[in-house]
Amino acid sequence: MSENQNAQINVEEMSFEESMTLLEELVRKLEGGNLDLDESLKVYEQAVALREHCRKILDESDRKVQSIMETASGEKREDFKELE
Amino acid sequence: MSERITVTELNTRVKELFSTTNGLRDIWLVGEISNFKMYTSGHCYFTIKDNGSEIRAVMFKNARARINFNPGDSMKIEAYGLLDMYVERGSYQFIVESMKQSGIGDLYLKYEALKRKLEAEGLFASERKRPLPVYPKTIGVVTSPTGAVIHDILTTTKRLYPVNVLLAPAQVQGEGAAQSIVKGIELLNRVGVDVIIVGRGGGSLEDLWAFNEEPVVRAIVASKVPVISSVGHETDFTLADFAADRRAATPTAAAQMAVRDKMEIYRQLDDYTVRMNKALSSVTDRMRSRFATVDAKLSLKRAQEKVDYLGMKLDDLSKRAFSSIRDRVSIMHRRFASCENRPESALKTQVARKRSNASGLFARVDPDIRTIIVSKQHAEQNLSARLEALSPYSVLDRGYSFVAGPDGTAVTSVKGLQPGSVITVRMRDGKAEANIISKEEKE
Repeated sequence: MSENQNAQINVEEMSFEESMTLLEELVRKLEGGNLDLDESLKVYEQAVALREHCRKILDESDRKVQSIMETASGEKREDFKELE
Repeated sequence: MSERITVTELNTRVKELFSTTNGLRDIWLVGEISNFKMYTSGHCYFTIKDNGSEIRAVMFKNARARINFNPGDSMKIEAYGLLDMYVERGSYQFIVESMKQSGIGDLYLKYEALKRKLEAEGLFASERKRPLPVYPKTIGVVTSPTGAVIHDILTTTKRLYPVNVLLAPAQVQGEGAAQSIVKGIELLNRVGVDVIIVGRGGGSLEDLWAFNEEPVVRAIVASKVPVISSVGHETDFTLADFAADRRAATPTAAAQMAVRDKMEIYRQLDDYTVRMNKALSSVTDRMRSRFATVDAKLSLKRAQEKVDYLGMKLDDLSKRAFSSIRDRVSIMHRRFASCENRPESALKTQVARKRSNASGLFARVDPDIRTIIVSKQHAEQNLSARLEALSPYSVLDRGYSFVAGPDGTAVTSVKGLQPGSVITVRMRDGKAEANIISKEEKE
């Protein structure tokens, strides 16, 4: 962890789970109180970016419901609709 | 001559025949239930059939109450009862007085034996259970495409968190069901999902049987992806349930295990926001209090205190300096007095005499010794210069005054002085007579 602290984190490319995990870690780090003002601000900014990233994923998440079957020509996926 | 009889009479005779013929009463009828219906009266009407034939059957309310399972379609049963004629309709039916599930004893034995075997292999061990992913992107479902399971999962996930759902449609009962379920689990593992829910709705032990078959249990164990089982009702425990990483009592519960509530995640993000703001402001508070300390050091009040302190220290130092100067002055006074007692001219004559004596001696001494003497002379001259510096007149040059009484002796104390006393004040360039006006003695 200590290595990617300094490395620039590309938030946009992170999965939701990675983002939530890192966010939790950063919040704990901030709460640890062992950082000076500069470091704290840096961590805080990162945490804000992660939080916005998570919110965006939640806001936008649009799901696919599909069924998958094995056929002679391989796996076949199609949208699944329940029969009424 | 043939008898002429009514329909009612005929059907009544058949009824009579049924009830008196051995083999039509006190029998166990073996078959499978279909068209099962229970009326609000509590009576049950259904068909019992086998591969070749079928018969209408009825089980009255009080008989239904005596059996400890729920009969239903496709259930294989043994029904105890008798054949009876329903005269009004001219139809006959089997009156079921008691019923048991057939082959059930065998199934239970099979279930227990397989359970013991797989348990011994450690397949049900709690150490094997894997944690479910916290935020799955896609959940796979192995179940019937038309059952309640997929319906409940779609409804629940839609409400909680719109996760992708990938269904591997499977046959969940009957011949080939186990194979179909195994294929579904393997397929979802291959295409990659984050968690798998496998299950079916409630039914008899036979209906659920596929989930007690060894290949299904092993497929669940072999799955790289964590598996949630949701088979039958809450009270039904299949071997698949024991092998799964989590067992859900209902499909809705399975969906709730698989995904987190989106609203809860929003709340958690809000909680993080509160926590990080609090943490940051405690950092800035800490900084501020550090600045406050520096500020305090710089404040006017503090500066005044510092000046006061330095002032005090200065007073103390100058008091000590003053008393040391005073001490030195009084030493000077004493030396001057002793010099005064031996008039200077006498000293000079003495020195001149000694010097001429020395010159005489000088001529008579060894040259080596002369060298020593010359250097001694230089040293003596040096000493004279220092003596000069110590002369009270040199002190007067530095601004001190010498006070003498009427008798010419140094006045070193105010003790002997009275207002009106005459003193002589000697300075660098002369002397002045003075009268004492007043005096003040130090403590």
